[in-house]
Amino acid sequence: MKKPKDLKPDTLSLHAGQRPDKEHGARATPIYQTSSFVFKDSETAAGIFNAERTGHVYSRITNPTNAVLEERIAALEGGVGAIATASGQAALHLAILNILDSGQHIVASNCLYGGSHNLLEYTLPRFGIKTTFVDFRDHSAVQKSFTEDTRLVFGETLGNPGLNVMNIQKISEIAHENGVPLLVDSTFTTPHLIKPFEHGADLIFHSATKFLSGHGVVIGGLLVDSGSFEWDQSNKFPQLTEPYKGFHDMIFTEEFGPAAYINRARKEGARDFGACMSPHTAFLILQGIETLGLRMDRHVQSTREIVHYLNNHDAVISVCYPELEDHPDHFLAKELFPKGCGAVFTFEIQGGREAGKVFIDNLNIFSHLANVGDSKSLVIHPASTTHHRMNADALGKAGISEGTIRLSVGLEDVEDLKEDLSEAFRAASKLK
Amino acid sequence: MTLFSNRIELKGDSNPIVFIHGTGMDHTVWTMFTRHYLRHNRDVLSVDLPGHGKSEGPLLNDIESFSAAIFNFLEQKKITTFSVVGHSMGSLIALEMASKYPERVNALAMIGTAFPMSVSEDLLKLAKENNPSAIDILTFMGYSMNARIGSNKNPGIWMTESTRRLMQKNKEGVIYNDLYACSNFTKGLEKAKLVKAKVLMILGENDYLTPKHRAKDLIESFVNPTVKEIENSGHTLMMENPNQVLDYLNEII
Repeated sequence: MKKPKDLKPDTLSLHAGQRPDKEHGARATPIYQTSSFVFKDSETAAGIFNAERTGHVYSRITNPTNAVLEERIAALEGGVGAIATASGQAALHLAILNILDSGQHIVASNCLYGGSHNLLEYTLPRFGIKTTFVDFRDHSAVQKSFTEDTRLVFGETLGNPGLNVMNIQKISEIAHENGVPLLVDSTFTTPHLIKPFEHGADLIFHSATKFLSGHGVVIGGLLVDSGSFEWDQSNKFPQLTEPYKGFHDMIFTEEFGPAAYINRARKEGARDFGACMSPHTAFLILQGIETLGLRMDRHVQSTREIVHYLNNHDAVISVCYPELEDHPDHFLAKELFPKGCGAVFTFEIQGGREAGKVFIDNLNIFSHLANVGDSKSLVIHPASTTHHRMNADALGKAGISEGTIRLSVGLEDVEDLKEDLSEAFRAASKLK
Repeated sequence: MTLFSNRIELKGDSNPIVFIHGTGMDHTVWTMFTRHYLRHNRDVLSVDLPGHGKSEGPLLNDIESFSAAIFNFLEQKKITTFSVVGHSMGSLIALEMASKYPERVNALAMIGTAFPMSVSEDLLKLAKENNPSAIDILTFMGYSMNARIGSNKNPGIWMTESTRRLMQKNKEGVIYNDLYACSNFTKGLEKAKLVKAKVLMILGENDYLTPKHRAKDLIESFVNPTVKEIENSGHTLMMENPNQVLDYLNEII
């Protein structure tokens, strides 16, 4: 019997979630820039409010433009559904608070984006949620980090900025043995380079600000539910398995089955936390996703050339990129990322912090700013910026030193990028 | 055998609406409909068939046994008369119920239906082997091309993966037994002639599993059925066009 011809990722990137507008024939996704939606009649209004009819009420909760984006990312990741949020941080916050209460606990990688680390280390403890940070390469240590209150395991596909490669299958097995889901930040890799659900992850979030939108013009986040985790196999998740007073005693697992988690995220999270995405932002992210495959391939191709260039440069002590044989996760990376390990990486410059400062200040095409995943090339010094709230010990564990410089390679001609780097190295060398 | 159904305190022998899911599904496919009728003060029993969803019980492989299991469940609830809504395999079970005790069924709604509901030998073989491809094929064929691209009326939900995941949660053997039951249900046309209930058939214009033309003989066997076709929709009509399905159901329930 013939295998079904499911639509391929590059087709889904362009079409998933959207059919041409029936009213006017618009081919592009219309921007429904409206706060609210007129009800056909009172009975329909009551039906939509009671979740018995589909339809939109208020753009904090759902919006037709956002819905296209949500479907598209769910399609690309192979999830049952998704929700768009105001930022990647909002997506992480929603992912956690959807199922964790005060007194509960997270096991997280010690190699995280600085903003995620802040949320877990400093902010969530104010609300009674604590995190144990652990080296995800040390599976025994991960196993030992669980307590009876642990409800979530969290890490990044490629840790920021050390590019630790998460063994998603192994970490998910440990999480599942302990009866909790694995949440993965796949911002650096996007579904073009890896689909974490296929390796055992249960939840994914993206900072869509980065490669998904790809042009550095929006702030947005996406949370995707695989629908695979068995929430009712334990009594650990009453938010999903017991009556929810906030929605007429709805039991999410009973009413939505595999889509329990994402429905709670919308019915409570979008409604009450309110960190929604603007429809215009959703439109811009959709524009970015249309060319995701083309862009990611080019990002990776240029990154490989830059990595090779830096790896052979006298002023460079080391380059941290998993495709290099000396990276601790080289073989795992080959297995998980056959299309490439993304376009963000770090290197250590001779001369430490001072040399790094001069180097960055003398770049002209690379822009010195706190972002990654732009079509334009970017540079930053993590120890003094994105990760500056981490102490020396935490920085060391995250693979960051005083001389670490992070690059996000864009879509410019790679020869121009190499020339820009050469000029900056020349300037830094004059410090000697 | 006790079947799982939605939480409800029945208002006595209240002519409830009984919802019956299709192959490899469970009661969650009826959530929106259940919520609607409960809000309108109607009693609803949306069941998980034996061995499906949250229901215990042996795997059954014939429509008559599924029907008997639901009748048994209704006996436990002391229900005499009811309306019944079924999707796909569930529509055959609903037909069997409406023909077995015609006086007990007030309305019969068959969604995404055909007779015979034959299943190819290749698909049966894959399902018997618990080959994941069987679920992939059912998911793919279960939606119109329109729905495979998306634009779900239920915001943020990716329809095909939702269905795939629901099917993947089944125990081994469930899908095969369901398909076998569909394929081996006979005398559907004779049974249709016994039905006394009001009959509604809701068909998808682009249904690849139970193409609308294969419902023709069934339509002709009922006395004065109401037949509705939903344009641009495939087999999984409750996902693809829930509002339209609800509006049509409201015409007879």
